[in-house]
Amino acid sequence: MARLLPALLCLASGFLLVSLGWPHRKSAFSDYLFRASLSVGFGAGVFSVDFFLSLPAGVTHLLLIDLGALAVLLIAFFGQRLLSAAASVAMPPERTGELPRWSERAITVGFVIALCSALYSAIIRILAYPHGYGWDAFSIWNLHARFLFLGGANWRDGFTTLLPWSHPDYPLLLPAVVAHFWSYLGYDDPTVPAVISLLFTFSTVALLLAALSMIRGRMSAMLGATTLLATPAFIEQGTSQYADVPLSFFILASIALLCLRDDLARKDQAHAERYSGLLALAGLAVGCAAWTKNEGLLFLCTLVLARLLTLLRFDVSRGNWISVAPRIAPLVVATIPVLLLIAFFKHVIAPTGDLFSSSASTLHKLLDLSRYWAITRWYLKGFFRFGGWLLLPGTLLLIAYYAAARREKHAEPQTGIRTATLALALTLAGYFAVYLVTPYDIFWHLRFSLMRLFLQLWPSAIFLFFLIVKTREGEAGEVVQVENIEIPSP
Amino acid sequence: MSYSRITIASVSFVLCCLLSSVCLIVDAPAAALKSGSDDIASRSDQRFSALKGALPERGVVGYVGESGPLAAGDYYLTQYALAPVVVDHSPNHDLVIGNFPDSLSRDVPSNLQLKKDFGSGVLLFAARPSPQRNVQ
Repeated sequence: MARLLPALLCLASGFLLVSLGWPHRKSAFSDYLFRASLSVGFGAGVFSVDFFLSLPAGVTHLLLIDLGALAVLLIAFFGQRLLSAAASVAMPPERTGELPRWSERAITVGFVIALCSALYSAIIRILAYPHGYGWDAFSIWNLHARFLFLGGANWRDGFTTLLPWSHPDYPLLLPAVVAHFWSYLGYDDPTVPAVISLLFTFSTVALLLAALSMIRGRMSAMLGATTLLATPAFIEQGTSQYADVPLSFFILASIALLCLRDDLARKDQAHAERYSGLLALAGLAVGCAAWTKNEGLLFLCTLVLARLLTLLRFDVSRGNWISVAPRIAPLVVATIPVLLLIAFFKHVIAPTGDLFSSSASTLHKLLDLSRYWAITRWYLKGFFRFGGWLLLPGTLLLIAYYAAARREKHAEPQTGIRTATLALALTLAGYFAVYLVTPYDIFWHLRFSLMRLFLQLWPSAIFLFFLIVKTREGEAGEVVQVENIEIPSP
Repeated sequence: MSYSRITIASVSFVLCCLLSSVCLIVDAPAAALKSGSDDIASRSDQRFSALKGALPERGVVGYVGESGPLAAGDYYLTQYALAPVVVDHSPNHDLVIGNFPDSLSRDVPSNLQLKKDFGSGVLLFAARPSPQRNVQ
């Protein structure tokens, strides 16, 4: 019961939060899968924030806090349903494939094999290494969780300048959610972070599968999910109890929600405002990314900038200034609560981070061309190596697939895809800039972090790839507006 | 023509992906599981469990340990095992932990006197009174 109750509260909070922004009432399987996988991440986000805010407030009755948060979400959920009962929309129908049946079956079998292999590997790894695999698991993430849980009134002791190697400035989504579950159990059970890491890993796969299925069809979804499942480094990293895979989950969630919103709004232009909830969810997801790792904060900035630039390019060039604000405002507004939380943590609790503390030599490093060349070489090398693939790199496979299948042609500009692609490119450029000015030895820093940085963006890159590439499936049915009853178009 | 090309490309793509899935199964640490968990953090928690009971529940203690490539890892594992006590990598504290998992020769500063040996290279030192020492 001590394990089941917090898990149910966490998932229910996440599900209600997702449902608040979700426009549909009648759902297909992919729709349920999308919401269920998002619920894992958003539930973790809610639990993390609840726990972190309870610490400075000195509140020890976590069950009351969790029930209170759940009650608020329930009231908001039913209130919203009452208000929007007459304005429901139908789901686009599942797309029918155009591949021969034998090949669809082969791809499905391939997906199932990849899923079983990944599950087997992941479960064996968390049983063999219950505290995580690799130094960062217990020198950063689980250590912070122990300080939060075991520290009691002195929980701030862990965020001291005496332990600079533990990166006390790193955000606390993962440590706080682990500490929250430990508080229910009453001890620091290592299976908690292990199960959370497993859930994030496979929720990322489920999210990719569901989002591609809803936007591009079942075969694209199978191909995309198989690509991720067959990336050994992703499964290994996911079960190592680092924060990179949870971050990749939130980056993918924000991009998938943004693309889904733009896709639905494009097909139902008369009622585009009904999909603003998805934009707000994308904002919450990118906020959670920033609360997971510092790289998430960079991604938040690049996503907002990319959105603004994309909308300005397409809407302002058509003289359509007015439409820009409602297509970016929910995204930005939803990030504000999490940004305030991060600001509180960074300025009140955590010491200054290490990356930008030695600013004296920054200019010198920026003018050193050999650093640019070194990073470029590692980027190129890492592009083919980061997944730990056997024989054929996954990136090379995607290039080969693109050469064979080519690009899907769209009649209208795909603002979601363009925003997401630009955001990922800007994030990679941001990582490049951080390496340029790093206070550490550049080769040491590249060696121990570049692969993980690529993995953070990998699920999103796969998602965008299979949105862009042609998989020869039929066009989607249009969304139709109905009164209370949802009828998919034929 | 285009139709069959995409079909073949899709199926070939999945087959190539499955090569790496094989890699996942082969590289899974099943052998470690059969011989009992090889988790260094679990072992470290066990090594320090007796010492943890001898330390105050909160505060800062010092640390001395071995030198060499594994020294930093040993120190991180010590901090992980002893949290929420903060382990400062310095001998200048009232209580100082000695962590010597691999060596018999223990290079300990002269200002420390052994308080208790917990076995497996885990030691607890107390600082000798000295006017120059920082007292926390």
